[in-house]
Amino acid sequence: MTISFLLNNEPVTITTEPMRRLLDVLREDLKVRSVKESCGEGECGACSVILAGKPVTSCLVNIAQVEGIEVLTAEGISQTPAGKILIDCFEETNAVQCGFCFTGFLVSCWHYLTTTPVADAEAIKQAISGNICRCTGYVKIIEAVQLACQRINKEQSHEIS
Amino acid sequence: MKSQKRKDAFAKLTGKCRFLDDYTVPDMLQGYIIYTTIDRGWIRKINFPAGFDLQEFTIVSASDIPGKNIVPEPVNDQPFMTSEVVDNFGQVILGIAHPNREILKKFISLTRIEYERRNAVTDTKECLDNEANQFGEIMHLKHELAPTYNLRHLWKWQQIFYTQHQEQAYLEPQGMLAEYNIEKEEMKITGTMQCPFFVKDAVESIMGKAVKNVVIETSEGIGGAFGGKEDFPNLLAGVTALLAWKAQKPVKIVLDRKDDLLITTNRHPSRVDIIAIMHDQNGFISKIDIDYRLDAGAFQTLSPVVLHRGILHATGGYNIAEVKIKGSLHRSNTPPNGAFRGFGAPQAIFAMESFIDNVAHRLSISPLRLRQLNLLKTGDQLPTSQIVTENHLQDCLDRVVQLSGYKKKFTDFQEYNKTNTVKKGIGLALGLHGGGYTGNGEKVLQSRVKIVLEKNGMVNIYVANVEMGQGAHTTLAQMVNSIFKLPPEKVNVVIPNTSQTPNSGPTVASRTIYVVGNLLQKLAERIKSELGFADLKDHIAKNQNSFPQSFEEVFVPDPADDFDDITNQGVAYHDFSWAACVVEITYDPDLYQIRVDKCWNVLDVGKVINEGIALGQVYGGVVQALGWALTENIYKKGYPRLSGFTDYTLPASLDIPEIKVEFIHTNSPVAKGLGEIPMDYPAPAVRNAFLQATGIMINELPLTPERIFAAQGRSKK
Repeated sequence: MTISFLLNNEPVTITTEPMRRLLDVLREDLKVRSVKESCGEGECGACSVILAGKPVTSCLVNIAQVEGIEVLTAEGISQTPAGKILIDCFEETNAVQCGFCFTGFLVSCWHYLTTTPVADAEAIKQAISGNICRCTGYVKIIEAVQLACQRINKEQSHEIS
Repeated sequence: MKSQKRKDAFAKLTGKCRFLDDYTVPDMLQGYIIYTTIDRGWIRKINFPAGFDLQEFTIVSASDIPGKNIVPEPVNDQPFMTSEVVDNFGQVILGIAHPNREILKKFISLTRIEYERRNAVTDTKECLDNEANQFGEIMHLKHELAPTYNLRHLWKWQQIFYTQHQEQAYLEPQGMLAEYNIEKEEMKITGTMQCPFFVKDAVESIMGKAVKNVVIETSEGIGGAFGGKEDFPNLLAGVTALLAWKAQKPVKIVLDRKDDLLITTNRHPSRVDIIAIMHDQNGFISKIDIDYRLDAGAFQTLSPVVLHRGILHATGGYNIAEVKIKGSLHRSNTPPNGAFRGFGAPQAIFAMESFIDNVAHRLSISPLRLRQLNLLKTGDQLPTSQIVTENHLQDCLDRVVQLSGYKKKFTDFQEYNKTNTVKKGIGLALGLHGGGYTGNGEKVLQSRVKIVLEKNGMVNIYVANVEMGQGAHTTLAQMVNSIFKLPPEKVNVVIPNTSQTPNSGPTVASRTIYVVGNLLQKLAERIKSELGFADLKDHIAKNQNSFPQSFEEVFVPDPADDFDDITNQGVAYHDFSWAACVVEITYDPDLYQIRVDKCWNVLDVGKVINEGIALGQVYGGVVQALGWALTENIYKKGYPRLSGFTDYTLPASLDIPEIKVEFIHTNSPVAKGLGEIPMDYPAPAVRNAFLQATGIMINELPLTPERIFAAQGRSKK
């Protein structure tokens, strides 16, 4: 089956089995390294991508479902203004540890930041509740997203004034 | 002050950092393993499925091993692979490789192993309660100062404590890539590991004389380890190497999550019996007798070392005049348990800290007062007769009590609970953790480190200690650069590779910063005084002909440190880190559910090099400990029924409390151990908060609703 979709703003067309996991196609065929396999059953969020504007775990998506849809991974997110702010904040707070889950966190946090940039710890906890991290205890991830929210809100208020 | 940024953060956030599954080399085969799926018995027959061309597969079994079929460990009792006898679920029977992963997986899923089963011990209590299951050496520790009691007003009390298995649950499953160079007869392994030189020993053991040279390198990124990548990589690297040698092609194995959960090492389940003789009025402990037992699994492997650390932490932060401790390993038909952050100390500290609160509860005195009465102070002796020269436990305790408002909350909650269905509780616990290898371990290891000053002005650090998320490579570079004072990007730790890195020992035992970091700093100071520079950058630029220059330093322990491995007397750890913790919970009796609301931690880990990274270690350790305390559980009667993360409940973002951390005595000249201590004390603090909230004494982990329901039933009868 031939499938066309938009990957990080670039059109791609591949011929493959329709029931293959989006995760495998991204990693094996398209060499997208940021998408990680950890649990393989949608529990941990390490393979998160933005699919048609929403964060999903790519291990639970078949490639056939992606036809004509836009896929955004950490590689693409890191090129966006909000992605750059988030990366800065993760770096400044020393939030990253082993990093295996972090590209997945970047996806969830970017979605949060671009939809509801409210620096509220409880709301952020909710937004990242589909991502498991074993190293950090989440504290600094929440701190980094709060910082990113403050920055993005400041930038926006500057733009208005 | 802002902490220096981690060197690896940007690459990890953008997907540029290579973890093992991101490595590919030409002609690489996908490898996998077939392992035993019964607990005990014999393998009778292996049936490969029809419809596959067996010529396409490389298959190895124990009979292919050119060297020794024994994984090198402190106790050499576990085979790499088994061909007949089954001692536990998860023993490797075959390694299989094929160019195509889908075909390989299908072939493996259709392969059938026929067994003859024997009775097995898989239940933790069945294992630990029966002394017939004891194996290995029994350890003893006896310490008797003059009796501090007269025979009147004495009270003897015995309590038994149990803890369960815990899965490390690093997010990156274990994996190895083996490349065999036929001309050079060299086996190169790249993989997820904490101890490259352990893996080297293992590959040399399995390959014997069949290969001339073994080189081990860690993957660029290691996705968490927590002890889980300390000894299992030895076995996995051995089997992967064997496959690559037979196939004469590179082979990569990356475990599936389910298999990683089922067959790799876990935290040892424990049973700790405490018998104490106390004053019946105030709970002053005069004498304590501790029986510390660990379920080692089917083989001893490194369990004696865990047992050793366990007994050496068993009396916790308390000063007790007469101590008798016995430590023993018990055998069960479960995969061998191994290293996990804390390494025997969390089990011991859970028992001791819970015991203290049980006594306080029985005597209706404050757990804080009881702790203060028995507290270990500077100048006191540990059970090993080691005199504690620098003990800031009292300061940790005072500060955490102050920060948390413990005293007021303790009485407020008592009042609150009289009139409310939903209960509030507050609990205390103390922690201590010896830095570095136990006893003479560091003396034997003789860690070596190397610093190379390059012609281009870069400083390269060569140590065998890995970056597995803990921030070691950033922190070590910072320690060296505290002497050189270059821009941070000029000082780097090179990815460990056994052909160029000196053996600075394994990445374990809270020793990376404490032993290796302080050693590197000493070397940097020596370099500075030998070369006599004021500005290193200038010095290299002006003396280009004398660079690159390489410098090495060997760890020399304090000559006064002496430890007797038989009597367990002497200096067990040159430096201890200390901690005190307060946990506040809400307990909902309708749901039998504990919610941890707040957790205060005050720690003395000596000098803090990078506060951001150090805080991350404490947050992460605390949350792992809360998981162990409340939800994480593997075995449900018999062998593990895990299918993945779905039925192993890890703490998620919504489960975490407000966590406060404060480091004290950070003006110390020495950076002490930090990685493990945050795992040691939070679980008993939660358990003690539950006791305060409900008056129900539960001496077992985890505190699941099911366990609380059962205990509540008992306490009502």
